[in-house]
Amino acid sequence: MLFNTYEFLFVFLPVTLAVFLVLQMLSRRLALGWLIVASLLFYAYWRPINVLIILPSILINFLLARVLLRLGETNSTSNIGNIVLGAGIAFNLSILGYFKYLNFFQTMLNDVAGTDFVMTYVILPLGISFITFQIIAFLIDVHGRRIESFTLRDFCLFVLFFPQLIAGPIVHYREMMPQFQNISRRLDIEGISVGLTLLSFGLFKKVVLADGISMHVSPIYTLASDGGNISLITAWIAAIGFTLQIYFDFSGYSDMAAGLARFFGVRLPLNFDSPLKAKSIIDFWARWHVTLTRFLTAYLFNPMVLWLSRRRMKKRLAGMAGRKPNVEAFFSLLAAPTIFTMFISGLWHGAGYLFIMWGLLHGLYLTINHAWRLIVPRLWKDKDKYHLFMAPIGFFITFVAVVFAMVIFRGPTPDAAIEMLSGMVGLNGISLPHNLMEPLGLVSIMEPIIHADGSSAKEFVFASVWVFVLTAIALLLPNSFELTAAYEPVIGYKIRNDHKSVLYRFLT
Amino acid sequence: MTEEKLLTIFTQILQNLLDDQSIVLTMETKRHDVPDWDSFNYINFIVAVEMELGIKFKVADVESFLSVGDIVDSAKLLIG
Repeated sequence: MLFNTYEFLFVFLPVTLAVFLVLQMLSRRLALGWLIVASLLFYAYWRPINVLIILPSILINFLLARVLLRLGETNSTSNIGNIVLGAGIAFNLSILGYFKYLNFFQTMLNDVAGTDFVMTYVILPLGISFITFQIIAFLIDVHGRRIESFTLRDFCLFVLFFPQLIAGPIVHYREMMPQFQNISRRLDIEGISVGLTLLSFGLFKKVVLADGISMHVSPIYTLASDGGNISLITAWIAAIGFTLQIYFDFSGYSDMAAGLARFFGVRLPLNFDSPLKAKSIIDFWARWHVTLTRFLTAYLFNPMVLWLSRRRMKKRLAGMAGRKPNVEAFFSLLAAPTIFTMFISGLWHGAGYLFIMWGLLHGLYLTINHAWRLIVPRLWKDKDKYHLFMAPIGFFITFVAVVFAMVIFRGPTPDAAIEMLSGMVGLNGISLPHNLMEPLGLVSIMEPIIHADGSSAKEFVFASVWVFVLTAIALLLPNSFELTAAYEPVIGYKIRNDHKSVLYRFLT
Repeated sequence: MTEEKLLTIFTQILQNLLDDQSIVLTMETKRHDVPDWDSFNYINFIVAVEMELGIKFKVADVESFLSVGDIVDSAKLLIG
């Protein structure tokens, strides 16, 4: 069940909330129990059989976590804890591997071996990518003694809580559970009002903006995958258009998730913070899918760099620390771990070559950004002047880089992506609809540069206007969390000075 | 080693790392209080501290330090 369906909005949500509100006045235990039951119904709605996958997985993970907890309590110095943790991570990754990647590995095998081996098509259980990462983080946290007690009910609620179940954010147990345990016994009018506000913003972004622009952008990608020629301007409209589509889709979904959680007296962590306003690609990843970046940094990148740095120390090789890292240290301690982490991120986003390419490209972007950060202080002594001068340039480069990569993310086939990218760099020439150029008397004047083609002028104008308006909304307006900042819409939210939008500064 | 001594060492390490002599660390300083102290520079900082003091933090601890004070406390324990 998606948040923007009638079943959800007019049946599931009102019923779940009404029962919850009554139960919370009677007993917190009953209210939380109801949230688990409702979340399971929410999950089962799409494919009931999914429950048969998620429930045993919850049970096994609960038992593993219990063992880890006991091992931590006895303070044993043996390696059993590490082995149990390793087994737990392997168990969760194999579930994800089976459901998400089996088909892809089979395709890859066929591509490499030139065979035509067909396997049964496995349907991906909803939200399994999010659930897997969340549970892995939980096991690591229990092992690291960052979680000191939990019950089966707590664990079920942590995994299944429906506002974050199918599309994130990826939450930590320690930031969620105290909130559930302290749910108010009285009607939380403020929570419901903020929830309704965020849900409405989110619905608008998803249903009106994202789905709206999608109608004008999708035909261009279809044309590209059918082998059509996409010229410069159309290619850029399609590329920026799709970036905006996914932006408002994700932003809308994050708003809805945050709003729904507030109905039940709970704040989710910040997951989406106007990423297109970013002034560098590092900044972009601190704003786009914040909880995924947080997960990958804490559980993959940092341990990897820590391990590599220490290994280099033992061998007495130069480290990254200090003002002048050497090139070799930069590659082994920064470039390689960054690109590997983004490779995993790409693979996590979807089982396919294009997702991997997208991840690797962002890995490369981040590496370049980090290298630049190391070089700049040597070239530019005055930091303030540098930031003043570079902010607009950084913004522009980041925007273009993100849009460029998004074309690869979109696909749907490598050929379509290549066609689109060729158009974007001008290999397919520049053209505009003849019906648009003719009334403006531009056909003969512009002929040497801009070719007049037979595409629809109306469709071109519509798509351009959508792109223009949505870009303005994304870049100039304050976001939902800035607007509701007084009510702490997500955990610990504070408006960052350097994040304030132009209009926000103007209005306040 | 005393808290003050450790804070001085930490401050020097971070000043060198970020090339910013204006940084002053206290027990309460958090990462987002210091400009450019991102997750990558954080790991660099941790490794530099390990090198300087000849200690090794637990990987799980590295992720749970919330403030400079937490790192100082953990380092004190490890030095013994």
